[in-house]
Amino acid sequence: MSQASLIADYLTVLSAQLPAPLVEELADGLDETHQHYLTQGLTPGAAACAAVAEFGEPQVIVAAFTRLSPARHAARRLLAAGPVVGGCWAAALITGRAWTWPVPATVRLLFGAGLITVIGLLAAAAFGRRYLSARRAGAVACAGITVLDGVMLIAVVLAIPVLIWPVILAAAASAARLTFTAQALRAVLTG
Amino acid sequence: MRGEELKGHLDALLLAALEDGPRHGYAVIEALRETTGGRLDLPTGTIYPALRRLEVAGLITGSWSVVGGRRRREYQLTSAGSRSLSGKRAGWQDFAAMISGALEGRPCPRPA
Repeated sequence: MSQASLIADYLTVLSAQLPAPLVEELADGLDETHQHYLTQGLTPGAAACAAVAEFGEPQVIVAAFTRLSPARHAARRLLAAGPVVGGCWAAALITGRAWTWPVPATVRLLFGAGLITVIGLLAAAAFGRRYLSARRAGAVACAGITVLDGVMLIAVVLAIPVLIWPVILAAAASAARLTFTAQALRAVLTG
Repeated sequence: MRGEELKGHLDALLLAALEDGPRHGYAVIEALRETTGGRLDLPTGTIYPALRRLEVAGLITGSWSVVGGRRRREYQLTSAGSRSLSGKRAGWQDFAAMISGALEGRPCPRPA
């Protein structure tokens, strides 16, 4: 195997699992390492082997970056906040006798399915071992939370004749989560 | 010295390598090699996630530059990073004095 293909193959493995800016930085470091061995008198092939060996296993690097991924951090925080916001809404819906609201059964089912999907995506982002998959899952989950919280806030405005404090509390919790989610989504997409 | 023995000290080493000014990832590794007499046996690739972790923690800041037509990320200490390095350095000196005292059978000087 030529030195160019050895380094290219190493970077291909990283490119398949990490965002481009991270790979770009690693490629720069790998090239510097290669140059270091060339200046020490190694042949290009031996220098490439030494550089790749010194860099370490690609999976170890990917795993370390995945642990730091913004998607993972955002998903874990949103999973932790979920029961709090959900509890607020449960109290609000029970207090507001939500079963009497004029909401079609299809909408209720779609909302429930959306909620379960978002929780699944958050779990995938929070505990997944692949950086790019976690990022995709985290981004879609953030978008889903935005939609779900938005739907609940609109439903409150349209369906409840009189605002009661549990509903106000739940709406405030959703608004706070929307703010956090917007910031998190930006970090997930750029990270 | 292998990676496992460095656990808990890598952050301080990286911060110290950036104390003299901005450096890119490989220059950080070279600085560590130089200051440790080449005894640091750490997979080079693992330095980059560690730098990223310090950046997320606000202890260093990274910026892109173009060198020889190639983009390169350079890091420099933030003021929080400088404070953290001072704290880690003082903590290490206390720890080293305590362990040295115990190993050599002499009383450890109490920290001021």
